[in-house]
Amino acid sequence: MYIIVVGGGIVGYGLGLELQAMPGHEVTIVERDGGRAAQLREELGEMVVHGDGTEAAFLDTVGCGRADLLIAVTADDGANLVACQVAMHWFNVKRAIARVNDPRNEELFHRLGVDSTISASRAVLAQIEATLPEHTVVPLLRLEGSNLRVVDLRLQGDAPAAGVAIKDLTLPRGTLISLIIRTDGSPQVPSGDSVLHVGDEVIAVIPDDAEEAMRVLITGHPSADGHG
Amino acid sequence: MRVVIMGCGRVGAAVATRLAEEGHAVTVLDTNAFAFHRLPSGFTGTCVTGSGTDDRILEEAGVRRADAFIALASGDNRNILAAQKAKHMFGVRIAVSRVKDPLRSELFARLGLRTFSPTKVGAELAYDALFQG
Repeated sequence: MYIIVVGGGIVGYGLGLELQAMPGHEVTIVERDGGRAAQLREELGEMVVHGDGTEAAFLDTVGCGRADLLIAVTADDGANLVACQVAMHWFNVKRAIARVNDPRNEELFHRLGVDSTISASRAVLAQIEATLPEHTVVPLLRLEGSNLRVVDLRLQGDAPAAGVAIKDLTLPRGTLISLIIRTDGSPQVPSGDSVLHVGDEVIAVIPDDAEEAMRVLITGHPSADGHG
Repeated sequence: MRVVIMGCGRVGAAVATRLAEEGHAVTVLDTNAFAFHRLPSGFTGTCVTGSGTDDRILEEAGVRRADAFIALASGDNRNILAAQKAKHMFGVRIAVSRVKDPLRSELFARLGLRTFSPTKVGAELAYDALFQG
């Protein structure tokens, strides 16, 4: 597979290292800053080229027409969006992935057909949320093409669900409790008779609008700002 | 009509001035408040300091009620991002964007923006000036 990475910052560099280690891929990293490109070239070699990855004329010189995938990971959302759109609509590259620096831009990227977006700030927020006892609905994965997401919750002491069997819970519509990880770390595929205990970690598939109801059920607390 | 203009440089200020004089409701955005000095003293439009790629600033500029959005900031990608946001997220009917790179200008015209390339126009004018008379 031929992959073009636009942006040679920390994310682009890390991606280059990973992809270089995977056999069977040809990778080009495009970096706009000449000094940074030269520095990356010393570490990663020939795969690094100096140029503007949002310019069709330049992308043509690195063989964008035969690329299978373009990944835009600069710190500038405008550049990432444009690089993906140029790849998809000028060169007919089948897949384009963008890093989204401002999470509010995520929906626009999706509407414009950028397949997947990586939101670093969202991932960092999720990590931080996981360490906070109050905010215990951690988004793990969004199921593309549906209104479902996979979330991780930890059962709090005063939660309505504590000590109750799953079949006796009033779960929000469309919700599925998929896995329980007990406090000793053992995973368990739940049945209707499984009883949730304080400290259990629950992995569930929930519709987008059920987050708040699940939060109250499992943690006993509404979110601080009312909508997660 | 209600027009939001992103970028109060020489071009942005001139377009804003002309539209306001014609009686349109104009809001001008610029990240640098000093740029508004380019507008004439009797300017009837509104000035908002902030980035036209920022949803909150766009809301503040009343982009939801706007009939048109014109992106005239310095960077092509920033203009394209803002114009597409106005069109696809805020439902602005007419989204105009200056795009210096002629190929990018052509591509985004195909993708629904009203673009123009000062590079291409400038080259044509230079050529025409050479052979005029």
